[in-house]
Amino acid sequence: MRTSARKNIILLAFAIFFMLIFILPNLWMLFGSFKDQNAMFSLPPIWIPDFTYLKNFTIMLSQSYMYLINSLIVTIGSTIVTLIFSLPTAFGLTFFIFRGQNFLADWILSTRMLPPVAAAVPLFILFKYLNLLDSLFALIIVYTAFNIPFAVWVSASFFRRIPMDLIEASRIEGASWFDIFLKIAVPLSKGGIATVAIFVFIFSWNELLIALFFTVSDARTFPIFISAQVSQAQIIWGNVAAATVIQSIPPILLTIFLQKNIVSGLTLGAVKN
Amino acid sequence: MNREKIEKTLFILPTCLFLLAISIFPFIYSVYLSAFQAKLTKMHRKFFIGWENYQILLFEDDVFLTAIQNTFTIAFSSITIEIILGFIMAKIFFEIRHLKISNAIRTISILPIMLTPLCVGLVFLYILNPTLGIFSYIVETFFGLEPIAYLGQPIPAKISIICINSWQWTPFMMILLLAGLMTVPSEQYEAAKIDGANWYHVMTKIEIPSILSFMLLGIVLRLIECIRLFDIIYVTTRGGPGIATEVMAYFTYRTEFRSFQIGTGSASAVIILIISIIVTTIAVTLLRRVERNADFS
Repeated sequence: MRTSARKNIILLAFAIFFMLIFILPNLWMLFGSFKDQNAMFSLPPIWIPDFTYLKNFTIMLSQSYMYLINSLIVTIGSTIVTLIFSLPTAFGLTFFIFRGQNFLADWILSTRMLPPVAAAVPLFILFKYLNLLDSLFALIIVYTAFNIPFAVWVSASFFRRIPMDLIEASRIEGASWFDIFLKIAVPLSKGGIATVAIFVFIFSWNELLIALFFTVSDARTFPIFISAQVSQAQIIWGNVAAATVIQSIPPILLTIFLQKNIVSGLTLGAVKN
Repeated sequence: MNREKIEKTLFILPTCLFLLAISIFPFIYSVYLSAFQAKLTKMHRKFFIGWENYQILLFEDDVFLTAIQNTFTIAFSSITIEIILGFIMAKIFFEIRHLKISNAIRTISILPIMLTPLCVGLVFLYILNPTLGIFSYIVETFFGLEPIAYLGQPIPAKISIICINSWQWTPFMMILLLAGLMTVPSEQYEAAKIDGANWYHVMTKIEIPSILSFMLLGIVLRLIECIRLFDIIYVTTRGGPGIATEVMAYFTYRTEFRSFQIGTGSASAVIILIISIIVTTIAVTLLRRVERNADFS
């Protein structure tokens, strides 16, 4: 037993070493957000900052709160719209039997793999024509389109866990598909739907490329605001650090919520826990 | 059509129409635009030039060819690192999975995956500052090495991008391969133990064969992500120094939105699209297969 205890300690040490590789860079940025410009780059480094120094955050928030609000509207909006479109489709692909079913599923999945950069200019022209450029609405529509394939596939993988007998029994009792969807499938897949929603939320929250193409001023999202800070000649690193911390809070909190379903989500439902 | 058919159609059709309009139409329109010489600022004056954009990109434009080469160099190097490190980490976490604390360590280790790529780029831009960054300081103090401009010289910049990219995605490979290791039946390990197999045999004869499909899935999914690599480049090197870290997505963005050459840009987009479609076809087949295997097990 003693050798196995020692082995565990060694392995644990390695695990902690790896964890530090993945967390220390983030912590250094977090600490930086509590320092002024000089302290951020002082040599030798100031290892532990004064955590009561909040000036970076107050400056940042007062300059950028409207971009944060834009980001939240776009992210929450596209998450909701994505679910409204995807859940019924995922349900249909799971429980209906029709010709071309597999083809349709594959087709939906393959649109997920298309690079957004290849769609940017045509969508730009389309939204310019519709007079919707630089609007939150346009961003919600585009993010939704890019997230639907993911949402359909992952929700379908969760719907598939519902016992078929349950569905068939309700059909025999005369329930409509819509009733089954709303009263059986959705309540039974709450956990899965939450997983999908969290992923879609994070994808939209993190998006940069499309927002770069589509927004000029009114609809600029928080990532656009941050990247603009870095393109200036003189980077004010305190502000950048504070903005980075603010931007990172939702993904970090939500990842902790995701826990076990993260593999399943990242592989589009292919791997189950 | 009877009532049930209408109901069923309502479940599926809206999504299909939506995808056709916002996801399929743009790609087709890109193909159309790629046959023109056109400026985004003067859309009403475009000239049909056929294949010329492709000819220029593929046979004359060194920047674009470098961008393709860089994209694949970065993709293959990152994915190799991710597979090797990810497998080692997965093994470690697999061995200590009974310890209570291992869950917490694992959760903290996977945080980079979901971080905004833009922020990941910024974190490293801060750390890798050549004169005043913490990385230079550590390298100089503990290893006595002279600091260099990690993002300002061609080869170091490329290596830095690969490292940043793998830093964010190694945890993904780790949890994926860990999920794979969990599917290895414990009898196989016991049988190997009785036969006196060493760790190398266990790895090559039992573990790798049974997690192979997970590995392939990881490789393909990562390949798709690497082809569209943009955010990190945009915020750290902007393709530089020179064109040392120019990649396909960034090249397309620059051509379309900095020089407004949407004809050339669309041609470049279409080339990325074709590469993606090839990778995707493989990916979809794999996803279906892995899923089927998982269902039967």
